[in-house]
Amino acid sequence: MTLTARRRLHNAILSVVIILLALICAIPLWIIFINSFKTSGEMMKDPFGMPASFSLDNYRHAFASLPIGRAFLNTIIVTVLSVFIQVFVGSLAAYGMILKKSRFTAAIGTLLVLSFVIPGQTLIIPQYRMMADWGLVDHLASVICIYSAGAAFCYYLIVGYMRGLPQSLFEAARLDGAGPWRIYFQIVLPLIRPILITTIVFQTMSAWNDFMTANIYLSSVDKQTIVLQVFSAQGQFTTNWPLFMAVTTIALIPVFIFFLICQRWIVSGLVSGAVKG
Amino acid sequence: MSAQTLSPQAETMDQAAHDRAKKRINLRENLQAGEFLLPVILIFVVITIIPFLESFVFSLTDYSGYDFSSAKFVGLENYVTMFKDPTIMAGLGFTLMYAVLTTLIVTIIALPLAVVLNKKFWGHNFARSVFFFLSIPSMALLGLVWQFIVSPLPSGAVNQFLSHFGVSAVPWLSNPDLARGCVIFIAVWATIGWHATLYIAYLQAIPSDLYEQASVDGANGWQQFIHITLPQMTPAIGVSVFMLLTSGLKVYDLPFTLIGGGPGHATYTVTQSIIVTGIGSNRYGLGSALGVVFFLCCLVLVLVQQAVTRAIEKRMA
Repeated sequence: MTLTARRRLHNAILSVVIILLALICAIPLWIIFINSFKTSGEMMKDPFGMPASFSLDNYRHAFASLPIGRAFLNTIIVTVLSVFIQVFVGSLAAYGMILKKSRFTAAIGTLLVLSFVIPGQTLIIPQYRMMADWGLVDHLASVICIYSAGAAFCYYLIVGYMRGLPQSLFEAARLDGAGPWRIYFQIVLPLIRPILITTIVFQTMSAWNDFMTANIYLSSVDKQTIVLQVFSAQGQFTTNWPLFMAVTTIALIPVFIFFLICQRWIVSGLVSGAVKG
Repeated sequence: MSAQTLSPQAETMDQAAHDRAKKRINLRENLQAGEFLLPVILIFVVITIIPFLESFVFSLTDYSGYDFSSAKFVGLENYVTMFKDPTIMAGLGFTLMYAVLTTLIVTIIALPLAVVLNKKFWGHNFARSVFFFLSIPSMALLGLVWQFIVSPLPSGAVNQFLSHFGVSAVPWLSNPDLARGCVIFIAVWATIGWHATLYIAYLQAIPSDLYEQASVDGANGWQQFIHITLPQMTPAIGVSVFMLLTSGLKVYDLPFTLIGGGPGHATYTVTQSIIVTGIGSNRYGLGSALGVVFFLCCLVLVLVQQAVTRAIEKRMA
C-alpha cells in the first residue's frame, strides 16, 4: 500500500470512529427532540425511535399551560441588564487601571483578584440577607445585582487585552487634549471591541443558564427565568415526559441559535480568558 | 531670572515646588483613574467583600436571619455542630470528590480527544461542534433530561436499551454509588467538549516544525505526544484544571436537578447544604460557618493546584 493510500484509509477510519462517538454523545439531545413529538405511551415503549407522527400537541400544550413567553422575557431582561452592567463597569475599571500606574491602582487590582478565590457559596447567606433588607427578594433586580459581581471577571478579561494594545494610542489622544472620558468612549471602546464581544458572549451564557441564583431569589411564577420554568415544569408534569421534552426543546432553541452565531467568539474567548488564568 | 543664575537655595525651593506639582499631578491622575475604578469597587465591596466579612461574623453567632442585634455570640459552636452533622459532612465529601474526579477524568479524556479532533479528517468540524455544543446548555436543564435517561425504572432510556440484551433494570439513581457515578459521568459528558475546544486552540499554536523535525528523527505518534504535545500543552492543562476545579467546587445544579442531592444524601453538595441550612431553615450562623470552612478548602485546593502547575512548568521549561 502506498503512503497516501494508507493515510487515506487511516483518515477514513478516524472519520468513522470520531463521528460515531460524537453521535453517541449526542443521543441525549436526540431523545429530547424526538420525544417531544410523542405521546407518553409511545415514549415509554420506545424512547429512541421516530414518533408515529410529528404532532405538535405537546408544544401547543406547553405554551397553553406555562407562561413561556413571560419566562423568556424575564430571562432577556435579566441577561441584558446584568451583562450590560458587568461589561460597562468592567471596561471602565480596565481603562482606569491603564490610565495610571500607581500604588493606589495596583492595590485595587490585587483586591479584585480576590474575587477568584472567594467561592460564591460563601456569600449566599449574607447576600440573601442583604437582598431581603433591600426588599428585592422575588424581584428580577435581586438576580441582576448578584450577577453584577461578574464585573470583576470582565475587568480581568478586558484589562489583559488592553495591556496588549500600544499605549501610544491613548497617549496621542491625551496630547491632543481629549479628556479621559472622551478617550474612553471614542478611542478605547472601538479598540477593545473583540474582547468586549467575547466578554459579552461569556457573561450572556452564564446569566442565561444560571439556575442557583434564580432559584434562590425568584419564587413567583411570573418572575421565573426560562431555566426555572423548565425546572418547575418537570415537577408539574412528572408523569408527562413528552410534554417536558417539548418545554426543554423550546428552552434550548435560543441556546442553539446563540451557539451557531457565537461559536467562534466563545472559542477565541476561551483562549484569551485562559492565557492569563 | 534665568535658570543659570539661581542660587543654591532657590534651586532647592524650586525643587520642592516641582515635587509638590508632581504630587499634585500624581494625585489628579490617581483621582482620574479612581473615577473609572469607582463603579467596580462599589460593586465589589457591596456584593462580594461585605458579605464575605459578614459570613465570618455570622458564623460565630446563633443568628437566625431576623434581627442581628438579638443574635448571641457563640464562639466556635457552629463549627463544632457542623463537623458533627453527617448531612453537612456528606455534602462536603461529595463536593470534594466531584471536583477532584471530574477534573481528573475530563483532563485525561479531553486532551487526547483534542489531539484527534485537531487532525484534518472528513467531518472534523462537525464532530468538534457536537462535542462543544454539549457544554452550552444549562447544567440544570441537562440534569432534568438525564433524570429520564438514567431513571432506575424499567422505562428509563438506558434501562430500556439494556433490556434488549436481557439485562434487568439497573437502579441507576436509587443506589447511592451508582447515583454518584451518574452525576460524575453526566458532568464529564457535558464539559469534555468545552475543555477539548480549549486544548485545540492551544494545539494550533504549537509550531508544526517541531513535529516535522520529530518525524524526520523517526519519532512515532505516541512519542511525539509525550515529548512534544504534552510539554507544549502544560500551560493549557494548568488553565483547564484550574477552571475544572473551581467550577467543580461550585457544583449544585446537576446533582440537585438530577436527583435532589439524593438518594439519602449521596449527591448532596456544599452549596445545597448552605442554601438548605441557611435560607431554608434560618440557621444563618451554621450555614455561614460552612461557607467559611468551604472558603478555606477552596483556598487550599487552588493554592496546591497552582503550586503543582508551577512546579511542572518549571521542570518542563
